[in-house]
Amino acid sequence: MPDINLTIDGHKVTVPAGTLIVEAAKTVGIEIPVFCYHHKLDPVGACRLCLVDFSPGPPRPQTACTTPVAEGMVVRTQSAMAVQARADILEFELVNHPLDCPVCDKGGECPLQDFTFRHGYPTSRIDGPRLHFKKPIPLSENIALDRERCVLCYRCTRYYDEIAWEQELTVAQRGVQSFITSQFDQPLQSNFSGNIIDLCPVGALTSRVWRFESRPWDMTHTESVCSKCAVGCNTTMWQRRGQLVRITSRENDDIDEGWICDRGRFDYTDVNEPSRLRTPTIRGAKSTWADALAATAGGIKGKGAKLGISLPADLTNEEAFLFRRLLDGPLKGAKVKMHGRTAIPAPAGPTMPIKEIDDARVIVVVASDIENDVPIIDLRVKKAVSKRGAKLIVIYPEGVDLDRNPHTVHIRNAKGAAAEEVRKLSSHELLQNPGGPVAILFGDGHGSEDMNDLASACGALAEQVGGKEMPLYRATNERGALALGVAGWDSLDGVEALLSWGPPPTAGVPTSVRFLAAWDHLPRDGYDKAAVVLPATTFAERQGSYTNLEGTVQFLRPPVAINPPLKEAWEVLNELGAALGLELDYPGIFPIQRDAAAKTPALAALAQTPSPEPVTGPVLVGPAHP
Amino acid sequence: MKTTSVLSAHLIDEIKALPARYPQPRSAVMPALDLAQEELGYLTPEAMTEVATALQLDAGYVEGVATFYTLFHLEPIGKHRFYMCTNLSCTLRGAEELVEHLRGAIGVHEAGEVSKDGLFSYEEVECMGACEYAPMCRVDHRYHYDLTAEKVDGLVAERRSPAAAAPLSSSPLSPTLPPERGEGDKPKRAPKKKKADG
Ligand code: SF4
Ligand code: SF4
Ligand code: FES
Ligand code: FES
Repeated sequence: MPDINLTIDGHKVTVPAGTLIVEAAKTVGIEIPVFCYHHKLDPVGACRLCLVDFSPGPPRPQTACTTPVAEGMVVRTQSAMAVQARADILEFELVNHPLDCPVCDKGGECPLQDFTFRHGYPTSRIDGPRLHFKKPIPLSENIALDRERCVLCYRCTRYYDEIAWEQELTVAQRGVQSFITSQFDQPLQSNFSGNIIDLCPVGALTSRVWRFESRPWDMTHTESVCSKCAVGCNTTMWQRRGQLVRITSRENDDIDEGWICDRGRFDYTDVNEPSRLRTPTIRGAKSTWADALAATAGGIKGKGAKLGISLPADLTNEEAFLFRRLLDGPLKGAKVKMHGRTAIPAPAGPTMPIKEIDDARVIVVVASDIENDVPIIDLRVKKAVSKRGAKLIVIYPEGVDLDRNPHTVHIRNAKGAAAEEVRKLSSHELLQNPGGPVAILFGDGHGSEDMNDLASACGALAEQVGGKEMPLYRATNERGALALGVAGWDSLDGVEALLSWGPPPTAGVPTSVRFLAAWDHLPRDGYDKAAVVLPATTFAERQGSYTNLEGTVQFLRPPVAINPPLKEAWEVLNELGAALGLELDYPGIFPIQRDAAAKTPALAALAQTPSPEPVTGPVLVGPAHP
Repeated sequence: MKTTSVLSAHLIDEIKALPARYPQPRSAVMPALDLAQEELGYLTPEAMTEVATALQLDAGYVEGVATFYTLFHLEPIGKHRFYMCTNLSCTLRGAEELVEHLRGAIGVHEAGEVSKDGLFSYEEVECMGACEYAPMCRVDHRYHYDLTAEKVDGLVAERRSPAAAAPLSSSPLSPTLPPERGEGDKPKRAPKKKKADG
């Protein structure tokens, strides 16, 4: 796109054509306040807060969020007219706004507070009665709605409509009486509902899980990565007094574009569970780590194929690397089963990056209900379709949420016959002249498909139509574990000893097991009969990295400190290795990462660990009071 | 699983045929809701859901539209609803008193309340574009002009016992048609100027 030159408050700015004035202003650190505008949603110009004046242009304030830049344009955000226009709009916003700040969860990170302080009038002239609504109203298990605080920016409903393709959140009534409501007051169902909390510029939509837990300035926050599935969305984790109190999204345009699913956002309370395991036990009696690991080693050593090992879905690359050493040595021959993994084989080489879905002209989704399997990929596909005009073909036996688009071509295959349908696709009319890249996303139909057949069918299709493939791994670090060769898929039936790391095996502990060593963070049924129980850390206390489904290695930063006797998993594996007679004595996580990077090409990124200091965004400065 | 639907089968067929008439298929939601309301009297969540299904829309979207317009009813209304104009011209010509009178005539205390026999309710509305015949009201899709207390009583009475009263269709259907009156009581008015263009 050609570049456009303009002036904003005297600063010369050069931006690509089509850039909106609000965005251009950001590049020179000028804040134009916005409510309805959001860079991931289509502009609507509903709130009028972003008024500025510019020439050439009409002699009235104009909305900066709907006006694209033009060559030679002179924008004034500080002229008397613009400053007053914004202050007046803020005064209108406050006409019906309750004086809730002291009890509002948004307080301290509220754009309405901040903008009023920076752009509004210092005193209020409003003393009439305000609109009242029943409040707060639960929109779902997780989200509360306070209609009095709503500024009707429609970010939440637009997000639902544009991004999530759902209509269960809507605006009812009209004019000053309008309010946000869920469809027929039913609880929200979407797996993507939590993002509206981040989007809401006021305290109208708040998390019920976090409600009244803490103030933003009372928490520390850490940039980390979600551990619930293989997408690897970037998150910010918030800690207060050693508890994980909140998880919010953190925009990474290559992966999540600022969205996380409800699993990633709300599924964390187990971290703070008072009943969590903290001390090792041997047959129910508290013990030291040394004794417990010696007992474990004694029970699992030299068992060969009689030993079963259940691995968690979210073991880190570093843990997997250490585990590989155990499997190559003292635990050779053990049967390994990784939680939640797909039957998709390890990738032969690089696969299609997530962000390239954006440019696809045709997207083929095979054998996966991506809304539930890899949720944020689902949003990326929806974006490519509704905002960029990609065509969509789905091969899946049941209905999926992508069917909400009437143009979706949904081929319902018989279970296990996805490969057959894929082979027929090469003659599909949409793939004759795709006019650009074709993306082929394939899952494993939750075990119902013959993966060798399906993978080769997808490979053949990719070749015929010039497409790229994206295998949809599900388990958080499935791809990393595959690279290290520990992502087992063995049946644990008939094993005599079981090392159960993470939640117990999905099929339950096999009845043949005589020796059970459980390494978990929560007490569960049957652990009283276990020979050894080792306390495990959660994602909130873990250092290390995950390889997401596209192969990107991302680092976890633990928001919550580990209290002894709890130990990090790499440390436990070190010591377990030693108890089994291996020479494992890494002094910390970094040497493990360096070693893993040197030995495993897929983990080369581990050689460059990021700085522990999070990057901070530029501080935008607005004008003083009018 | 078979569930009984609240809208009749032929109505659903009619609704399904609507989107073809519009460049943007979801525009059909308005006439569709109108048909549903015509059949049921008011719009229940079930009815809105069925409209949504027939139009391949989400019920939430349909609900949003239905609540936006005051002429879509979300609660039971009387069989005959009086839309009493209380905007400027009508009020200057006594609309308030007429509303008061209507309340007595149908036996309700406030707007929206349904009379005991389920026949009547009323609502105050803004200008319906017939100021030259103020005060006026709309009942059963028809406009009634130059209202007086007696005329209101008549409108109520003929709906209580339709057989005994004059046929309901005696009043005009469209707001642009002049009311039928005898030569004698026709008020002197300058003929309407033709607008220059549409
Ligand atoms: S609830 Fe929040 S996001 Fe939704 S319209 Fe109101 S202020 Fe905007
Ligand atoms: S899509 Fe996966 S990685 Fe992203 S937030 Fe949801 S569970 Fe976490
Ligand atoms: S931000 Fe521009 S009108 Fe709302
Ligand atoms: S004011 Fe009653 S019709 Fe215009």
